[in-house]
Amino acid sequence: MEKEELKDKIYALVLAAKGKKKLKERDVINGVSEGTGVDKDTVKQTMREMIDVGRLMYSYAGGASSVEIPDEAYLREKGMIK
Amino acid sequence: MGFYGDRKLTAEEAKKLRETDIGPPYFRDFLPPVIKKNYGQWKEHDILSAGLMVHTAESGDKIWTIRVATPRLIATDTVREACDIADKYCDGHLRWTSRNNIEFLVSDEKKVEPIQKELKERGFLMGGIGYRISNVVHTQGWVHCHGAATDASGLVKSMMDELAEYFTTKELPNKLRLAVACCPNMCGAVHCSDIAVVAIHTTVPIIDHDKLGKICEIPTSIASCPTKAISPYPEKKSVKIKDEKCMYCGNCFTVCPAFDPFDTERDGCAIVIGGKVNCLRTNTKFARLVVPFISNRPPRWPKVVAIIKHIIELYAKHARKHERVGEWVDRIGWERFFKLSGITFTYQCIDDFTFMRDTFRNASTFKW
Amino acid sequence: MKKYETPLLDELEKGPFPSFVKEIKKAAAKNIMANDELGQVEYSYKTNRVYWKHGGIVGVLGYGGGIIGRYSMLPEMFPEVKFFHTVRVNQPSGWFYTTEVLRELMDICDKYGSGICNFHGSTGDIIFLGTTTENLEPIFAELTSHEKPRHLRFDLGGSGSALRTPSACNGPARCEWANYDTLEACHQITHEFQDEIHRPAFNYKFKFKFAGCACDCVASIARADCSVIGTWKGPILIDQDAVKWHEKKGMDIDREIVRMCPTECISYDGKELKIDNDECNRCMHCITRLHKALKPSGERGATICIGNKAPIVIGTIISHVIIPFMKLEPPFTEFKELARKMWDWWDEHSKPRERIGEVIEFQGMRSFLEAIGVEPIPQMIKEPRRDPFIFFKDEDIARVKEVEEEEKRTGKIIF
Repeated sequence: MEKEELKDKIYALVLAAKGKKKLKERDVINGVSEGTGVDKDTVKQTMREMIDVGRLMYSYAGGASSVEIPDEAYLREKGMIK
Repeated sequence: MGFYGDRKLTAEEAKKLRETDIGPPYFRDFLPPVIKKNYGQWKEHDILSAGLMVHTAESGDKIWTIRVATPRLIATDTVREACDIADKYCDGHLRWTSRNNIEFLVSDEKKVEPIQKELKERGFLMGGIGYRISNVVHTQGWVHCHGAATDASGLVKSMMDELAEYFTTKELPNKLRLAVACCPNMCGAVHCSDIAVVAIHTTVPIIDHDKLGKICEIPTSIASCPTKAISPYPEKKSVKIKDEKCMYCGNCFTVCPAFDPFDTERDGCAIVIGGKVNCLRTNTKFARLVVPFISNRPPRWPKVVAIIKHIIELYAKHARKHERVGEWVDRIGWERFFKLSGITFTYQCIDDFTFMRDTFRNASTFKW
Repeated sequence: MKKYETPLLDELEKGPFPSFVKEIKKAAAKNIMANDELGQVEYSYKTNRVYWKHGGIVGVLGYGGGIIGRYSMLPEMFPEVKFFHTVRVNQPSGWFYTTEVLRELMDICDKYGSGICNFHGSTGDIIFLGTTTENLEPIFAELTSHEKPRHLRFDLGGSGSALRTPSACNGPARCEWANYDTLEACHQITHEFQDEIHRPAFNYKFKFKFAGCACDCVASIARADCSVIGTWKGPILIDQDAVKWHEKKGMDIDREIVRMCPTECISYDGKELKIDNDECNRCMHCITRLHKALKPSGERGATICIGNKAPIVIGTIISHVIIPFMKLEPPFTEFKELARKMWDWWDEHSKPRERIGEVIEFQGMRSFLEAIGVEPIPQMIKEPRRDPFIFFKDEDIARVKEVEEEEKRTGKIIF
């Protein structure tokens, strides 16, 4: 699978859970790996690339960490958008 | 000034300079030469006074350690002051203990007297080594935590002002380890301390139903309760609490800020005693509850302090040499402890949570 | 700068023990954030409650930990602590420093923060108390900058559902009782698991602490999900002359050593101290008291314990033994593999916010031990089970049947 396609799959999984269920990093990795057949290390690595550029972010609420889609305020603070 | 001087980095510079996952620097780069040379080759140590010990290596080399207390919360200028002293007497080497004390590491015997003199003149409190109180492990409290049911730093300061001589001079039957946790999360190792304060709530949390529906997951909120006191409240798209089942642990609040467990009149402190970490003679012990609730009385919490001092004095008087608080109480029995201390025994002292069956007495062999 | 009246906190400047109020005031004299912190803490003292908001999502790009979002509930009264985030900086093993690195860290804390720090947080990190969101990236860049020499570069520690910053006792650097190199183990394992520290992937927190002996000066058994406690296998060596030295110094050997030995394996006839090493459980009481006369010998390693946690939710757990003895030498391969196996099992069997110790209670030790590939031995437990509610797998019964067949064949009963 092409990397961009994998990124889209990861993004879609996180988007689908938005507001419904908090996904931790391993949930995303396991979910995408099962759905695509791509090995977990590759999914993890790809997800990390997305987090490093602000396409996804780590969040923390209710005493647990999760992976989310960043809001504008975060992207602005990180200089990703003006 | 530091590597980049006074100038704040711009966002652009920060992006270019940052590097992730480098991990901490290598501790060996920070060790004094005499430690590097004798690493893993220490033979013995002697406690010379409450604030001074010397370690001797197989090679005959020695290193002197001078220990001073800090309140854990420390201003940058105080750290710099410690650095000035370490530069003058320790060739720039110092360390911290796991209990918030600074240790100055002196390699030259001639500097041992002068550094102690200077520390004293500057108002540092030396002590904490040996069969004494070695500072207090504690949490953030009102200074910096969102969940604090009391202040930790103020309690520690109030306790240790009364107990300072057990840090600086007076010996006890064994080590005495104190801790303060500012809520039942107990970030401060309270459960295995000789004597500890844990702040508690005593009222059922009030629920902000609008907020709960908006910002929290209902199943997660329900699941957070260890006694299953929380159930759905569909009319309000929220949850409700069965009052008589709630023991005010605050876990619902941790999971969801729509629960408010705070009560300025009824938040306070419990005192637990008899825990220990190490396995010397007896295995690790849990601390157990002796005083269930004392109202918060800042700035000095006089009742908390008075009870703790009273227990320590009893321990000093009655325990055998080498007995920790918990070992002493186990030997004499809890019924004897309550009699000796005069502390009122209440329903709250009897466990009704997960460990209760292990705490009941199954014999008629007790003392009057 | 606004001047706050602080009559209640002023009380806590008096008395012999070092005062946190003096420290806040020292910082507040030249830092507006520290000044408003002073004001807000006084207000807490006056009204008997906390005024920090619940959580908040902040961090440095790419990481999910190391920064704790902190916001005042009273930003109108105390505007400079509207944002007052915590920065956790991963400490060097054993908390050894040089003045050069401390000054570098303090300069960063002053420049971007409140000038107040903690040495150290409960888990072991250096804490910068209070900074703004916009300062997070510059702080991180100054801490980690690749332009600086390696020894001046620091990284963030862990927070959230991640591996938390490991810590260690001062071990072989300044202690004669260290049974393995706690500092090196802590350092190498921290570096091995940088991803697990910075990018929360677990269901909840996980802590390692490395203690060199049963004295457990980092409270590993009470403060870490995985407690690594040094121990040994050989006899205790005795210097009889030194025993006499202790006696001359006033020690009552019979009362303080012989009768206090939990396994009653020591004897002393006034001339010679003897230890029945086979019966010794290595508690170290005698070694720490007769510190000039006794020392461990032979093979060194560690006992690995698992499961400690604070009381929420099901009550406090103290770590319990899973591997009675493991050699711990660089590069610590066996230990690293064990950690990965534990995390995989934990992840598979847990729900959010369940610590590994709780999950072992829910699932049973067998599932956990099978996952990490460890056979059961009596050293793991204090006592066998008290009830007859026993799980069996078909293979367990088959094994019993096999043994019984063999007994029939040979006429000999196998225990």
